[in-house]
Amino acid sequence: MSGFESVALAVLAIALIKATPLAFAGLGGVISENAGVVNISLEGMMVGGAFGAVLVSYYTGNLFFAVVAAGVVGALMALLLAYFAVTLGADQIIVGMALNILGIGGAAYLLSAVFGQPGASPQVRSFGSLDRARSGDLAALFTDPQGHVLFWLAVFFIIAMHVFLYRTKPGVHLRAVGEEPRAAATAGVDVKRVRYLATIVGGALAALGGAYLSIGEVNIYSDGMVAGRGFIALAAVIFGKWTPLGTAGACLFFGLFSSLQIALQGASVPAQWLEMLPYVLTIVAISGFIGRSRPPACDGIPYEA
Amino acid sequence: MRDRLRRTLSPLIALVLALGVSALIMLAFRANPFAAYAALARGALGSEQGLAETLVQMTAFLFAGLGVAVAFRAGLFNIGAEGQLTVGALSTGIVGAALHLPWPVEVPLCLLAGAAGGAVWGGIAGVLRARFGASEVITTIMLNYIAFLAANYLVSGPLQGNAAAPETALIASSAVLPPIVAQTRLSAAFPLALVVALALAWWLRRTVAGYELRAVGRSERAARYAGINVRGVIIQAMGASGALAGLAGATEVLGLFHRFNVQLSPGYGFTSIAVALIGGSDPLGVIFSSFFFGIMQNGALSMQALANVPKDLVSIVEGLVILFVAANWLGGRLRLRGTASVIQPGADELPAQGAVAS
Repeated sequence: MSGFESVALAVLAIALIKATPLAFAGLGGVISENAGVVNISLEGMMVGGAFGAVLVSYYTGNLFFAVVAAGVVGALMALLLAYFAVTLGADQIIVGMALNILGIGGAAYLLSAVFGQPGASPQVRSFGSLDRARSGDLAALFTDPQGHVLFWLAVFFIIAMHVFLYRTKPGVHLRAVGEEPRAAATAGVDVKRVRYLATIVGGALAALGGAYLSIGEVNIYSDGMVAGRGFIALAAVIFGKWTPLGTAGACLFFGLFSSLQIALQGASVPAQWLEMLPYVLTIVAISGFIGRSRPPACDGIPYEA
Repeated sequence: MRDRLRRTLSPLIALVLALGVSALIMLAFRANPFAAYAALARGALGSEQGLAETLVQMTAFLFAGLGVAVAFRAGLFNIGAEGQLTVGALSTGIVGAALHLPWPVEVPLCLLAGAAGGAVWGGIAGVLRARFGASEVITTIMLNYIAFLAANYLVSGPLQGNAAAPETALIASSAVLPPIVAQTRLSAAFPLALVVALALAWWLRRTVAGYELRAVGRSERAARYAGINVRGVIIQAMGASGALAGLAGATEVLGLFHRFNVQLSPGYGFTSIAVALIGGSDPLGVIFSSFFFGIMQNGALSMQALANVPKDLVSIVEGLVILFVAANWLGGRLRLRGTASVIQPGADELPAQGAVAS
């Protein structure tokens, strides 16, 4: 293998590694926003999932339980979002902000209260290192029995959500609830129920992204480890025009930039400029400079029957 | 009048509930909530030094909280106060280090630089919203990260003024706001923030521009029919909002750190959203809520030291307060911003959900 080829493969492998947590969280945003519930607390739910997974892995040593626990934490946080946003008709952005603060603050509090050590948890059982994939052995990402489970789970969810939203009746109902809830209700769809379910599934998915960060990429939870990825996922949802495939593509694109940034360390391009790109591109996209990025018509608007 | 009572009561109830739920959380981890709150209050209010430091923290919350509140009143959700604060602090740091003028000129120029930096950063979101219909919620979130990364790049490269840390050079001694109480960090920034709050209250209530801003917040459509330049008001409001957040950063530099450092804010801009909400987006209300958040911020460490409760409990209280304010259990209109234009400006042009289409 030539030098260039191995570098290119390493860049691609790291791009996939970096895109996976974004894809989980992005899909979470896609499903709730298509049903009309804006979730800007993807960040907080990722934090909750990352911490929940470590907590359960610490006590049980079982990775399956750890992943399930992360999903449950995300689903419970999303249940709060659904209750306040759907049942009480509260402002979804404000509730989302509150959940972000609660997720980040709650994990920090529990880190001290449970493990007695602020900052970072002890090391726990994890899916194993992705070192082989990182060093350019792309095949390891697909075949390594430890490293690839969550990656393939993300791929599965991307395809499943695409099929669900565009090829099944419940999926059409879900999108109808986000576009034109009154019409959906007239057609016999229970708008609030659909919004609850979509939000809860979305929260669980976002939390899986967090679990990937804590017990997939490394083997601890540390404060600040999610580092704004929930907001990059939000950006990917907008950049991907609220579709599963578009969002997954945007995540891969953003992942490629983090990867390049690692590869180009010490080169003439400052890392910060590359890191900035997803945010700049999102502003460009939502301002309509490169084809309008349009959310579902009733995204974020409470529904009163 | 009843509406006014409700607007005052609602945040208070949310606050009591949040403290109550947090107490239950502490009990669940076998900590004594009464001891914790007592330690928090003692640390924040129990001594002259403690109180002064509480007012120091309050100053940043007050400036940034006023910024978020102004945007709310115009129907805009400025999540970008943290980024605007960063740009403001950086601008002040640059101007303060570059100019060496007598203080009556230097200090106002430095404050102006901070306000201008924040105004530009907020104004970008205003222009994008007014001209291209881009949701300010999304653009301000993105602008936050752009500001952090740009500031980080500048102070670890072209503008690095200290080889050992990512920060700018020290500002001129004539730019420093000295302590107004001996042995504390309390500077003239605090009375300045109070004056700005009162001026803002007057501006919102008694000037045409303030009236127009509130009218746009009530209903963009109605304001447009009334002949108000809605786009202009949106840009102005985001600019003003950013300027106030910028002042929070500027006074951090002039009064406390004397240079720009990437870590100079422990999240004042993010918390200021809660400050504005609890204050009912009213400048006078924000004075009280920023005092409360000053107590929380300053008392957290003594709570941790004396009652052995992790200081992060304060974040839980904050998150719960926001949640409970949003719930709006007392009913009435929680009119913090325009009708449901959450992600998509102009969504309030759609018929109201559930209303009979006519």
